[in-house]
Amino acid sequence: MGAIDAPVGVRPDHPGAPPAISARRIVKRFPGVVANDCVDVDLRRGEVHALLGENGAGKSTLAAVLCGLYVPEEGELLIDGVRTVLHSPRDGLARGIGMVHQHFRLIERFTVAENVVLGDRTQPLRLRRDRIEDAVAEIAETYGLPLDPRAHVGDLSVGQRQRVEIVKTLYQGARILLLDEPTSVLTPQEADALFTTVRTMTAAGRTVVFISHKLGEVLEIADRVTVMRDGRVTGDVDTGATTREELARMMVGREVDLSPRRARSAAREPMLRVEGLTLTRGGVTSVDGVDLEVRAGEILGIAGVSGNGQRELADLIAGVEAPTAGRITVSGTEVAGKGPRAARAAGLAYVPEDRLGTGLAPALSMVDNMLLTRPRSFLLDRRAARAEAEDIIERFEVKTTGPDAAAGLMSGGNAQKVLIARELDSTDGEHSARVLVAASPTRGLDVGAIETVWGILDGARSRGEAILLISEDLEEVLAIADRVVVLYEGRLVHETTAADASREAIGLAMAGVAP
Amino acid sequence: MIPDLSLASGGINANVWVVALAGAISFGVPLVLAALGEILAERSGVLNLGVEGMMLVGAVSAFLVADATGSPWLALLAAMAAAAALAAVHAFLCVTLRANRIVSGLALVIFGGGVARFVGSSVEGQPRGAEIDPLRIPGLADLPVIGRVVFQQDVLVYATVAVTALVALYIVRTRPGLALRAVGESPATADAAGIAVARVRYVHVIVGGAFAGAGAAYTMLVVVPSWNGSATTDGIGWIALALVVFASWRPWRALAGAIIFGFALRANFTLQAAGIAAVPAEILSMLPYLLTIVVLIALAPTAMRRRAGAPTALGQAYVRDER
Amino acid sequence: MILGRYEVLLEQRTDIRRSSALIVPVASILGALVIAGVFLWLTGRPALSVYARLVSNGYGSWYSISDTLGQATPLILTGLAAAFAFRMNLYNIGGEGQLYAGAIGAAWAGLAIAPHVSGPVAVIAVLVAGMLGGVLWILIPAIARAFLNTSEIVTTLLFNYVALFLMQYLIFGSSSFWRDPDSKNFPQGKPLPEVAHFPQLHFPRDVAGIDFPSGVSRVHLGLGVAILAVLVVWFLQQRTSFGFDMKVVGSSERAARYAGIPIKRTVIAVMLISGGLAGLAGAGEVGGRAYALDPNGLVLGLGYTGIVVAALSRYNPFAVGLVAVLLAGLRTGADALQGATGPLRVPVAIAFMLEGAILLAALGGEVFRRNRLVVRRIREAPA
Repeated sequence: MGAIDAPVGVRPDHPGAPPAISARRIVKRFPGVVANDCVDVDLRRGEVHALLGENGAGKSTLAAVLCGLYVPEEGELLIDGVRTVLHSPRDGLARGIGMVHQHFRLIERFTVAENVVLGDRTQPLRLRRDRIEDAVAEIAETYGLPLDPRAHVGDLSVGQRQRVEIVKTLYQGARILLLDEPTSVLTPQEADALFTTVRTMTAAGRTVVFISHKLGEVLEIADRVTVMRDGRVTGDVDTGATTREELARMMVGREVDLSPRRARSAAREPMLRVEGLTLTRGGVTSVDGVDLEVRAGEILGIAGVSGNGQRELADLIAGVEAPTAGRITVSGTEVAGKGPRAARAAGLAYVPEDRLGTGLAPALSMVDNMLLTRPRSFLLDRRAARAEAEDIIERFEVKTTGPDAAAGLMSGGNAQKVLIARELDSTDGEHSARVLVAASPTRGLDVGAIETVWGILDGARSRGEAILLISEDLEEVLAIADRVVVLYEGRLVHETTAADASREAIGLAMAGVAP
Repeated sequence: MIPDLSLASGGINANVWVVALAGAISFGVPLVLAALGEILAERSGVLNLGVEGMMLVGAVSAFLVADATGSPWLALLAAMAAAAALAAVHAFLCVTLRANRIVSGLALVIFGGGVARFVGSSVEGQPRGAEIDPLRIPGLADLPVIGRVVFQQDVLVYATVAVTALVALYIVRTRPGLALRAVGESPATADAAGIAVARVRYVHVIVGGAFAGAGAAYTMLVVVPSWNGSATTDGIGWIALALVVFASWRPWRALAGAIIFGFALRANFTLQAAGIAAVPAEILSMLPYLLTIVVLIALAPTAMRRRAGAPTALGQAYVRDER
Repeated sequence: MILGRYEVLLEQRTDIRRSSALIVPVASILGALVIAGVFLWLTGRPALSVYARLVSNGYGSWYSISDTLGQATPLILTGLAAAFAFRMNLYNIGGEGQLYAGAIGAAWAGLAIAPHVSGPVAVIAVLVAGMLGGVLWILIPAIARAFLNTSEIVTTLLFNYVALFLMQYLIFGSSSFWRDPDSKNFPQGKPLPEVAHFPQLHFPRDVAGIDFPSGVSRVHLGLGVAILAVLVVWFLQQRTSFGFDMKVVGSSERAARYAGIPIKRTVIAVMLISGGLAGLAGAGEVGGRAYALDPNGLVLGLGYTGIVVAALSRYNPFAVGLVAVLLAGLRTGADALQGATGPLRVPVAIAFMLEGAILLAALGGEVFRRNRLVVRRIREAPA
């Protein structure tokens, strides 16, 4: 451990040599699902191997099996041709397999160096801080990953944290690195830098497993692709010998329409108006003088890297948070600082980014969740809520055991359908269509659910609702919004129409570089 | 708590405040030991509210073993073992079975208190069979004020200071200490780094229990002359829990806080000795508890701002297969 | 966990069988009896005979049943107090102190108001004052929790000690309003006028051939109040908007903030109601049993046992009623054992030991209700 270019086992593949890892007939079950159903995969030395699949296809589970986090119920792993059982990530690391998780496994209160040496048993009992920091700095430099070993991880940007993860995995001597959805949190430019690092690593004989649901980047970076769907492998191809269309078909198994959708009629009167909106708390200004306007019949998309004030902006507009300064009017009614109930009364609906936990209370039944954002009298009447729940289950084909089942038992996609339907219903009906704030409405959903959610939003737009879409997924913003603005460090920095947006310019704006 | 007047009676002429300070240190020992144990457990992410129960079991074990063997050191060991055994139950329930930690901690208090009173019912009120005598440090013991306060204490007082230093060093500067903090901050991260989360938690909860047992043994062998059922510890386990918050989960601060709280715990004897009889004993007895409440409330704004070092994963069970 | 060649793990049940709702508590009680049996055996007592006596003393006669119901009265209320707050993840463990404070308040009303009013009004005054005592006693922890996020666990607990000393001060440490001025050497509480005494339930003198000496039982109005409290709490939780708010705040504070539910107000209201319920228990002890503020006569640990009641009933108000009766029987049984002779003379602390053991066993058992234990053989690769 601690070696910079681990010599053991790092050599180019010659014909007939066993792959670095082979997984054979892997089966891994979770209560109610078979996450990996007889999966086979071969990873060769020095290649970038993509695991492609929708959310829920089983690729993260497979990665967890490969790195030793999960022990599969059936099947076997061959490492350099030798049958091996990995009982823990430590076992995996000992054999040179390391994983960079999508949700970083970093401790915010620790320094970069402390995070890197965590779990390293070769360290002396009494830690020598200076030596650790030197070792970390050295690896960072070798692979072009600039980092200050003394910085606290809590103070780092998302891109920097990812670098810490990679340095940590390299420090642990990994010759096979599994990167789980590594670009989902990066700006386009940061993603490019990551690809350079990946190539540096494979050039040094390491294997990189690139787990992704994005076709474009897989074709760009990978040498080989294993496609998964519903826990099974549906394809195993060289990227040179395949096409986007073929991969999409293997991944989804049917035609999916994720083509851009735009308003079909001109936007009308402004429904949501925000002026000089600012939130300063504990000396930190997370939303800084935001002005925006959303008109009836349009979707305004707010792009940006996570952590630039998205959640605060959404919470402010929805009244969950009281602004330090600024005005918010919802169809002519001033609602700033008056709380969520006042905002709702004025016709605002809100789909928060945390759907199970904020938008829906997980321990409550679906019926009770219907009541969450409705006016209630002292004596509770669940009849209307029950009817509404049953209606939503039918209309949106929600998979659930029934309206009395706890919301937390639903899958992400079903929960999101319920949440959006509830929120849209609250502005529908007797009221005229008004304003919907939707934050990351498709994050973590599978393609089918994304299609449904986009369809619902598009339908609401056609009915004349004003929709504010806040999303860290630039593809999504470009696909369904009419206008796009970029949020950077709490300020809106770049505005364009979605149809003629330049990804380059938006990427720079997301990174804080003035276009 | 029933006072052992051996300290106060040391000299009628001695300044009551000097005696009070010396006594505060003595009363502070069980507090700081229990708090250190709780710091270890909580740093691993396992809240253990059962300190009072572990201390009662520890105290009665110390009493019975002292009674049977006459050895204070065997009594100390017995107390540590008994309290650690109870802590192991908590670890099993919370770490392996992932039961509600708060209720499990309370169950420990109720069960521990019940067992201690049951086992100790036949010896209630009897004088203890062994005790730990003060140690006069030659030369230094005769210094004015400081000699009486610091250098006429028993060996466990000095050991406690050393243990505090060791625990502080362990948490901040060592490899297992880093693993401990990692488990308390983010068990998933620690697990991914190959640290055996469950083992780290078991070890620290159980060792934490042994610390509480040591504190209870000190109470039994030095502070309180006889076993008095649940009045023997009289809530110091709970005060130790508050002390952990007060100390922001840091050992040295716990030591400092323990002396302050120890002073308050002794307030009724001090004020009586000082001739301030106007305040009734019952009201004085409330003082340590009220002081603890005031401290907890006064600290709250700071605690909210800085989160005051509370381990991030405190109170979260860890399930690896959770998706 | 890996044990040799086997892997042992807990797997969440996707379906919770209904029968487990019964099996788990029964298994927990059996488990607790085994644990306590070890201690009985260690102290040289025949565990089975002790348990047999415990049960017959607790539930074996009309007299003991009346005694048990009398004991259950405060336990239902302290159990409800704990369950009501615990449901919302507000761990009010100060039921003991709130009960004392309720007793102080109730005794005050009985002494100060009751002599000037008619019977029902006097009794109501005692109940209301008791409830207010409990509310007052939790006020500071409630406000500190809501506004400063101070852990209510430690503050409510510490107030138990303050309450205990306050009560001792009122009777032993001062010539307070509550103290009987005629009790010089052996200080006692001033007796309440008869008008403030709760009505008793009269049993028929002769039931099924068993003589009931006085005809007067230990069952008093307090039991009715406790049962009413069960119904009110259930109604509040299930059928009102306030109960809904509670459920949301308890389930997810973020969801509550999102929905605009006043979190602080809900937290304070729940804690005050919880304190009030425990205070009512204190009123029952003064108005229905002791007829004075009497620190020696107050049964200790009723508040703590309430926590056990709440946890065992999984915070369901109706279950609280049943569990309270069960544990009350344990106490009456243990009280009687204390008075026995020979090897069957067992310290009353056995009740607490059993309560704690039941709670520990139930905590373990609850896990097996929600999860199943899976033991799998690991197929090792040949080395």
